[in-house]
Amino acid sequence: MSENAQLDADLAELFDDVFGTWREGRGSATLELDLDRALWATLDETGISRLTAVDGAGASWVEAAGLLGAAARAAAPLPIAENDLLSGWLREQAGIEDDGLLHSAAELDGAGAANAVPWASQVDRITLLWPAGSGWKVADVATSELTITPRRDLAGQPRDAVKADLSALEGRDVSAEVAREYRLRGALARAVQMNAAMGRMVELAVEHATSRVQFGRPIGKFQAVQNLIADAAAEVAISGSAADAAVLLAASGQADLDRLELSVAVARSVAGHAASTVVRNVHQVHGAIGTTFEHQLHEFSKPVLAWRSEFGSVREWDSLLSEKLVASDESLWSFGVETDG
Amino acid sequence: MVIQLTPSPVVETADLKALRQKVRDFVAAELASGGFTPTINSWLGGWEPEFSRKLAAQGWLGMTIPKEYGGHGASFLERVVVTQELLAAGAPVSAHWVADRQIGPSLVKFGTEEQKQKLLPGIATGELFFGIGMSEPDAGSDLASVRTRGTKVDGGWKVTGSKVWTSGAHASDYFFVLARTAPLDAAHRHEGLSQFIVDLHAPGVEVRPIISLNGGHHFNEVFLEDVFVPDDMVLGTIGDGWHQVTSELSYERSGSERFLSTLPMLEEIRQAMSRGDIPVDPELGRYFARIMALHQTSLAVAGALSRGEEVGTPASIVKVLGTTTEGDIAELAMMVPGAASAAASLDTLRRYSDQALLERAGFTLRGGTNEVLRGVIARGLGLR
Repeated sequence: MSENAQLDADLAELFDDVFGTWREGRGSATLELDLDRALWATLDETGISRLTAVDGAGASWVEAAGLLGAAARAAAPLPIAENDLLSGWLREQAGIEDDGLLHSAAELDGAGAANAVPWASQVDRITLLWPAGSGWKVADVATSELTITPRRDLAGQPRDAVKADLSALEGRDVSAEVAREYRLRGALARAVQMNAAMGRMVELAVEHATSRVQFGRPIGKFQAVQNLIADAAAEVAISGSAADAAVLLAASGQADLDRLELSVAVARSVAGHAASTVVRNVHQVHGAIGTTFEHQLHEFSKPVLAWRSEFGSVREWDSLLSEKLVASDESLWSFGVETDG
Repeated sequence: MVIQLTPSPVVETADLKALRQKVRDFVAAELASGGFTPTINSWLGGWEPEFSRKLAAQGWLGMTIPKEYGGHGASFLERVVVTQELLAAGAPVSAHWVADRQIGPSLVKFGTEEQKQKLLPGIATGELFFGIGMSEPDAGSDLASVRTRGTKVDGGWKVTGSKVWTSGAHASDYFFVLARTAPLDAAHRHEGLSQFIVDLHAPGVEVRPIISLNGGHHFNEVFLEDVFVPDDMVLGTIGDGWHQVTSELSYERSGSERFLSTLPMLEEIRQAMSRGDIPVDPELGRYFARIMALHQTSLAVAGALSRGEEVGTPASIVKVLGTTTEGDIAELAMMVPGAASAAASLDTLRRYSDQALLERAGFTLRGGTNEVLRGVIARGLGLR
């Protein structure tokens, strides 16, 4: 029989409890999403702020994806992916010890600049990755040593411009594979976040359609409305399956980068196209109230649209897959469904 | 409210991967020796009993049938792996398709000992082919409105009525007929239905072809006039027909044939791009990704089915998105230049795209229309 890999139910419940409690007490939503330090402290105390640390919790991508998803379902403004899956991992690759502080991560260009670094202005330190000669370097730097210009994405999340003086930095050498895997990890994290938020959007659509009464009945009794929700749910389902597969592959730790890239590209392509249907349909079901700041729907639909364009656009992932397929000696079916490894 | 849309993912074991590779090797050898010509929609149109028997010789028919009835006692996931490889290659599997996919499992579940011994070995050897007699002229998506009637007579039943869209009835041995054996009770429409195993060569059975819009013949209308069905050819329990019919629907709906019908065309597009005959386009990657996502979902549903979990909603999701996607792949024909303006190396692709465009209308209808299935999904979400 096949093995199943699933998030432990107790752990899932713990994640939901942490974010559920936070959401009940957090007050109203804000247009600008600032990092919630109090909530971060709760994660720290609970021992889940740095899940995949090799010397710490030692959890895998399965648990990390569960936490990321739970945060996205609650619209919790935290750099979980950046601190653990990107910065923490990069520092491990470069042999930099964990300091327990709050980190983000950034890939800089050769001039030391990056345009939209998540949470840069609100974390303690940023783990930098940049090209140097024929290789790559990594350094972990306090934000006070960087020039940071605050910016926001369409969801109001900090995506700041960062400028580092590379000549003053003592970077540690890492391979080009590390740089490549860094981008894939970021891309996969965004797919996980998108799917979780889209799943929450479908739930909100169902809740709205069963409670909103028009023409003498809940609007969810109309087939036209049912179809909008069914199609959105279907997209979320297959997108979730694709991300599950990529997460399991990443968790196995055994995939080579080409294989991981293929799986992540599939997950990102499907999630990206799913977002078009899900955002459109779920907003349509909500009617005008869903277009307001007062209603919570935007707390999920806006991040989905923002995340969709990070670590690669939808078209870039589609094109990358096309190029890989065309260059392969194998049929596309054999290429996608492997029999070795 | 928390909605869980997909069952937990399945990771293929080394054994499953080895089986997959074995089928791939078999398919490659068959292609090399001209054993079959790949087609679009090969599980409906590719009727080649000889090929079915070659598969039987490999042990790939009736895989999940217990060994004591001539089957192979394999797992459901093993069958999924084998059928995926055959469908992906466009291999002609339609002769045994219905028998292998649902007749066998139904007989295992509901059949009498005598029926199992009589029919299951022939399914596993590719000697016995079956059709399905569910739809009627006035009962399509609304299956509970069937009018075919079964009347008790001495030693059996007299069955009268007509069935449509019975694939392969003209070349099959038996078909399963859903008939009303008690008067319709408007308040309990699903009661009073029963299933009969009807010999397609019995007196009173007439099979008339229904020619498809592309000139092909796989559908039939089957007329039954006082056809005698002995008591020992009643399937399961009289009056329990609805439950019996619907219990197998998740297998039928989540199967790989719901998203792989046009895969040979997508592969041919890939090859045409590799050769430089048509420009590389991101749509190839987009549809590849969608097929892979459907594959993962279908596999997760298969895993859940084998654990006995309820999967009506995700099975319907696979069918709605899968059949839409395979139809959208047919539309990629818009990338293909016409015969007058292009290289002869595109002939195969044109053949596939012509087939796919002319058959796609059926993709989203067969096995439950997508409109009905969206209703199933909506019910699963608590909207009905």
